[in-house]
Order: sequence, then structure tokens, then C-alpha cells
Amino acid sequence: MSENSSSGLYEELRAMVGLSGNPRVARDPVNVPTTRNWCDAMSEANPNFTDSDMAATGPHGGLVAPPATLNVWTMSGLTMGQQPPRDMAEPSAVVYSKLDAAGYSSVVATNSDQVYHRYLRPGDLITSVTTLVDVSEEKTTALGVGYFVTTEAAFTDQHGESVGSLFFRVLKFKPGTGRTRESKPDPKRDALIEAGLDPDEFFPPEPRPARPRPQWNEDQAWHWEGLRERELRIQRFTDDGTLVHPPANANPNTQSMDYDYVVASGRGTLYSYTVPQYPQVPAFDYPLVVGLVELEEGVRVVSNIIDVPADQLEIGMPLEVCYIDTHDDVTLHQFRPATAPRNETTLCAADVAVGDRLPLCPIPLDHRLIISTALATRDFQDVHHDVAAAKAKGSKDIFMNILTTSGLCNRWVGDWAGPDAMFSKLEVGLGAPNYPGDTMTLSGAVTAVADDGTITVGFKGANSLGNHVTGSVEIVLPDRSAAIGEGS
Amino acid sequence: MAKFDRKTAIVGIGATEFSKNSGRTPMQLATEACLAACSDAGLDSSKVDGMSVFSSEKNTEIEVARNLGIGELTFFSMINHGGGAPCAVVQQAAMAVHSGVADYVLAYRAFNERSWNRFGSGVQGRHQSPEAFDVSFSWTSPFGLLTPAQWVAMFATRYMHAYGATSEDFGRVAVADRRHAANNPAAFFYEKPITLEDHQNSRFISEPLRLLDCCQESDGGQALLITTMDRAAELNQKPAVIASAAQGVAEDQHMMRSYYRDDITGIPEMGLVARQLWKSTGLGPSDIQTATIYDHFTPLVLPQFEEFGFCERGEGKDFIADGNIEIGGALPINTNGGQLGEAYIHGMNGVAEAVRQVRGTSVNQVDHVTNVLVTAGSGVPTSGLILTTET
Repeated sequence: MSENSSSGLYEELRAMVGLSGNPRVARDPVNVPTTRNWCDAMSEANPNFTDSDMAATGPHGGLVAPPATLNVWTMSGLTMGQQPPRDMAEPSAVVYSKLDAAGYSSVVATNSDQVYHRYLRPGDLITSVTTLVDVSEEKTTALGVGYFVTTEAAFTDQHGESVGSLFFRVLKFKPGTGRTRESKPDPKRDALIEAGLDPDEFFPPEPRPARPRPQWNEDQAWHWEGLRERELRIQRFTDDGTLVHPPANANPNTQSMDYDYVVASGRGTLYSYTVPQYPQVPAFDYPLVVGLVELEEGVRVVSNIIDVPADQLEIGMPLEVCYIDTHDDVTLHQFRPATAPRNETTLCAADVAVGDRLPLCPIPLDHRLIISTALATRDFQDVHHDVAAAKAKGSKDIFMNILTTSGLCNRWVGDWAGPDAMFSKLEVGLGAPNYPGDTMTLSGAVTAVADDGTITVGFKGANSLGNHVTGSVEIVLPDRSAAIGEGS
Repeated sequence: MAKFDRKTAIVGIGATEFSKNSGRTPMQLATEACLAACSDAGLDSSKVDGMSVFSSEKNTEIEVARNLGIGELTFFSMINHGGGAPCAVVQQAAMAVHSGVADYVLAYRAFNERSWNRFGSGVQGRHQSPEAFDVSFSWTSPFGLLTPAQWVAMFATRYMHAYGATSEDFGRVAVADRRHAANNPAAFFYEKPITLEDHQNSRFISEPLRLLDCCQESDGGQALLITTMDRAAELNQKPAVIASAAQGVAEDQHMMRSYYRDDITGIPEMGLVARQLWKSTGLGPSDIQTATIYDHFTPLVLPQFEEFGFCERGEGKDFIADGNIEIGGALPINTNGGQLGEAYIHGMNGVAEAVRQVRGTSVNQVDHVTNVLVTAGSGVPTSGLILTTET
């Protein structure tokens, strides 16, 4: 490829900026079955979306669709396993095709800003018109060399009334041109690669050392056996019920040596913590968080605190136990943020202040979540459900689509704010992909409270690779008099 | 009052140079330090008949005795738990000479904890056995809590949360130590003071602990010679009278990981040492002109002032503010530079500095010194002592 051809491509693409496509009418009206699938996949339980009796008494006077479904309804379908052909009347489709032809065949969404003018109701027939608003110069990114393509879509209902808009940006990039992780230069391995040989066969990678192995004797064996069975057992002296950890041989109060154990509920709070950074021991992933957890039974245990970005650690935060197998015969307890229950009564604007933190929300990522949410958002791009196709396009596995990220962010904010919070805007920018096997933890805080009751929440969702998403959401909360009127 | 109070003294101090690479064996360092302490006192080393050491000391008293020309030892003891021992080995010596089981007792500590092994590198490779002490690490090591800095950091976070102390408050301890070290030619960080900004810019070792909150890893040896006041009169130096010395283990004590007590912002074993010392000597905080406050990690310096009653609980950060613990302040501490500035010799070099303050020979001499407080390791079973000019 010469300089000329790529600069020619850029000019060709730029020439289309400002053009709009034909109106695209949704295949089906907004409907409850599709909404229900979406809610199931997202773990969205707001009754205003699926429970017609509850919704009838809510602020919408009936069922509505989750606001993050704004652009779900006009998405293309999937026919007999084939992606539908691109509508070449769409300037963005033309741009994508030209980029495909030039080798920029991979695509990731990087930004989605949804503005909600009103909530969609079952029966609404949505039409979208998409305008190409920008094509960037060629950029070198972590994923590869490519172009950012930005579109803006306007959504209207069957009466031609505006219901919302979507500002959307994707990166179209050449697979295999991304920055691979820096590794130490190794001439021996390089020589083998040059000779067409697999260096791993000659120098097998050293297995990762195991964590320091816990040791025990008959005085504590019951504790470690419990962990194997996913039980966190706490010593109880049977004479007066005293709980002791770490275990002792005799009751510190009575010297009785008769004890059994209780199985901890697994709920606790963070009492203290440290974030070890040096020295780094190969058995552990850093940054590592080691906490002192006060169990609700009253004793404390040392544990790793997982699925919490270090800057979100807070003494007193609720935690729940989980487990990790570290050796053939050793299981350790771990603690992660406790899932906050969904708020069934909606917050009032007066309850909220700038700086209020939302409960941390770790979301374990697996193939089922990524595939089911992709399909529930009617996004049939193969990179979200087909591992081989995703790998062929330069990804290590399938990854979460942006409509799901948007849906999960709204679900989490709604679970905190309550079912009657009215969403007006959601802006998300994507970074590190959400791959199966990882965990994304959403964290955020109120960044603005406007006089009209509009609350802005700034948030991020971090996984092991970094921030998957950063963004903000605007919601309107009822004022207190309205809430009192409802009798809540 | 303990029976040995004011009846014994530290009469000789001796040290090697403090470095990151001594270039010789720990046994050589121990021998040199012990000979220097005897020479300082003006005592023929063969007269020594007692040895009091740390259980973590690898240079056994029998080998050191051979090197010193000591034919017979009538007293030899060991104190457990590392940095908690420096005042306790002196207490052992004082009790031994006062009771008459020995005449002259050497207490020493010598190691290459930088060039031979890194003292702060962690217990991940620890010996595995079903013995209780080895088992005790199972509650922390599998989670990656492996180093003294990490163990201490857990206390520091809670202390900050409870009392509003900040990283800057910890940094003020480091600044004081390094200011004092800057005047001390024997200090590793001689002529290298730091600012609070340097402290804040230093990297996290185990959050909230920064690099400059942590003591050094050092090579070196330090020895102390203890005898009775009667014998002290025959020797070279003005005796540093041992007003009293005490040890302490408190309820639900663990080795640097006493995380299971109702409150973990205090150091109750240090409070026990404080109560004994004040009661035994009749002295109080206002009688102390300068102190060696154990400073392996700065966060645990603050609650020591609280345990000794220099200030109220949680007010350590206020007590150390405005240069109060620096030369010219109300209670200059660690005038040798402490373990952050001079060297980390498990607290033994801090006892030697207290001796110099009593003699009036410190490079950062405090005016009108009568009583000097010394504390040992915090977080471990610990000890403390008061040296005085007065019998």
C-alpha cells in the first residue's frame, strides 16, 4: 500500500461525511417478548418493563421498554446464519465496505451516547435515520491501525415524533496490527521462530509457581477441609459458644478444649486492607488486595479482596465469600463486593448528593452472558457469539457488545436509583474488551445534582485488562412530595 | 520497682560501619562489634561471662565467645520475636549481673540483611512444617501477605481510618529521622535529608506504606556491654544507668499480625511495657528529654507516643507535627537517624544512641539529658527501657 492509495481512501471516505441514509423502519414494533428476553439476559428486574400490573401504577402508566433498547429495534436480523447484506444506501455502510476492502475488516464499537426523549412503549414502531458525521484520519491504536467512523442516528415513532438519538463511533481496523504485549527480547526464541520452529517446544514456558501453601495439623485440619467443600468454618468452643479465629487449642475464657465449628454465612465487611506492590511474587497477580474481613459472626479473617479496583476500596464495604482452588488439595476463601439488593423504592432527588457512591457491582463474564446479551440486544455480529470468527478477526475470544455494556450500566444505575428513576442520557466509551472468564466491576458516584432534579452519575467498569467502560448517565428522580404522594 | 532498677548500666557500645554490603561475614561483624564494645568500656573481652542475644541471631554465643577469648560463660539467654528484643536482651543482662549470675554481659546483633539476604523480601519460601509457629503463617501467606511492610500496612490503614491520620503524618517521622541521619557520619543516609515532598513522591510498597515509610535493609553489627553500677565505676565511660527495662506480650498476641483484637489501632503490648516502666521508675512522659522510638515502619511510630502517654489516643499525628520530634522540638527522637536513616540493626543501634545521649556524645546531642526512653519492635512481643544519668 502506498501513501497515495491510503490518503486517497481517506478523501473518498471524508467526501461522504454529512450524508444521511434512508429511513430504516424496525422489523417489529416495540414488544414485550423481546423486552422480556432483554431483561432476562441483563438481569434487569424493574417491573415497569415486564410486569403490566405493577407498571400500570408506575410513572409511565403502563409497560415501557428499557431505555437502553433505543437502538435495538431497528437492528438488522440474522437470516439462516447469514449477516443481512449491508444497505448500501447507508453512507456508513458504504464506508464500512470500503474499509473492509482496504483490509480494515475488524470492527469494535468505541462510543455510544444515547439520548432518551421519551420511554418506548409496546406497539411503538421505531424508524431511524443515520447520518455519517465523521471519519478520522488513520490512527494507530492498541487494537490495530484503523479509522474511527462516527454516525448519529435519529429515532422517531410511528407519528414521526422524536423518541431519542444515538451518537455512535466504531473503530474499523486491520487485524493483526495491534500492539502485542511487550516481551523481553530473547534471541534464542527469535532464532527458532525464524527457522520456522515453535520455541515453546524447545523452551517450554515455566509453570507458574503456586501460592505459598498453607500448612496445618490436626488442630486446624477441619478448617481446610471445610474450604475444600466451599465452607468457611469458624471454631466454636461448645461450653460458652465463643468463636475464635485463628483457631486455638483451648477457649481463651474457660480453657475448655471442647470445640466444633460454625459455617460462616460468608457475609462480612471490610475492616482494613493493604495493596501490596513490592516485592511481587510470581504466584500472585498485582495489584493484589489483601483485606481484613470482619465476618457477621464477629470474627475477622485475612483474605484477598477481589473484583474491586483498589481505588474503590472502602472500610466498611459489604463483602461476600467466594473460593479459589490454589493447589490440588487446597482451596482458599476470597471475598468480593456483596451484590447490593435492587432498590424497590425510588430515591428522591433530596436523598442524593454529589460524591455519593453507588454500590460496587461485579459482573462475572462468561460465554453465556456475552452470547445471550448479544442476541437479546439483536446484535448478530459474529464476534459476539462465534469464538472462531472472533479469533479470525484478531480477538482472543468473543467479547461483549456495546449495547450490552449500555444495558448493564443502566440496569446497575436503576437498581440503585429505584424503578421510577427516569433515564434521559447514557454515554459510554469502551476500552478493554470484556472477554469470557473475566469479571467486570462497575463503580461510580454522583457527579452532579441539578436544580431540576437531574442526577449525573459518572462510572467505570473495570476488568483485569483495565477499564472496559467509562461513562456517565443522567437520570431524573422524583422530588420528595411526589414520593410521599405514592405512599412510599 | 524492679530489683535491678538503677543498679546496672550500659558501659560499652560498639558497632561496625553500617552499609548495604559489608564485604565480610556476619560472624566477623559480630566479633568486631563485641570487641569494640569492650574496648569502648576499657574491659578485656575475656572478662565477659554472659551473653544475651536475639533468638534470630545466627552468630551463636559460643562461637562469638571463642573469638573474644572467653573461656567460660555462666549466663546465656535468647529473646524471641526479632525486633521486639533489643531492650529485652539488655533487661536479661541487667537481671543477670544484678543477681550475680554473671559480671559482664554482652548483648549483640550482627547480620548481612541486605547483601546476604533481603530482610524485607517476604516469607513465601518459609520452612513448611506442622509446628504451630509454621502453621501460624497459613492465615496470611497464601493470600500474598508476606512481608513485614505488608503486615504493618494492615494496621496503618485502620489507624488512618480511625483517627484521620494521613500519609503525610507518617512522612513526618521519615523526615525527622532523615534530618537526624544527615548530621550523623555513621548513618547510611549521612548528608541525605529528605523533604515531605520526597516522601509523598516515593512509590507505594504496600499501600498505604511508601518506600520512605520503610526502614532500610542493612549490613552491620552492634554490641552493648552491661554490668553493675559498682563495676561500672572501674571502667572508662560514664555509665548509662538502666533506670528500668520491661517486656510485654498482650492479649491475643500474634507475631506482627495481631489482627483479631477488638481494636487494632493501638499497640497494647507496648502499653504494657509503658505501664511497667513508668510505675517502676516513677517517671512520666514529661521526664523524658529524648527517645529512640522503634521505627521499622513509620505508621507504628505514632501509636507508640499514645501508648506511653505523650499524647491521647489518636493524637500521635498532632504530637509529631511542627517538628516536635526533631532536634529543637519537645521530644527529639531517633537522633542517630533511626532505622530509616542510620541503619536497621534490629533496634540495637537505637539503644546505643540512647547511651550516647546519656553520655552527652551524640552528633545530635539534646540539651540537659537526664532520661532517655527506648522502645523495641512494634507489632511483635516487645520491650522497652529507660536510660538515665541518675542512680
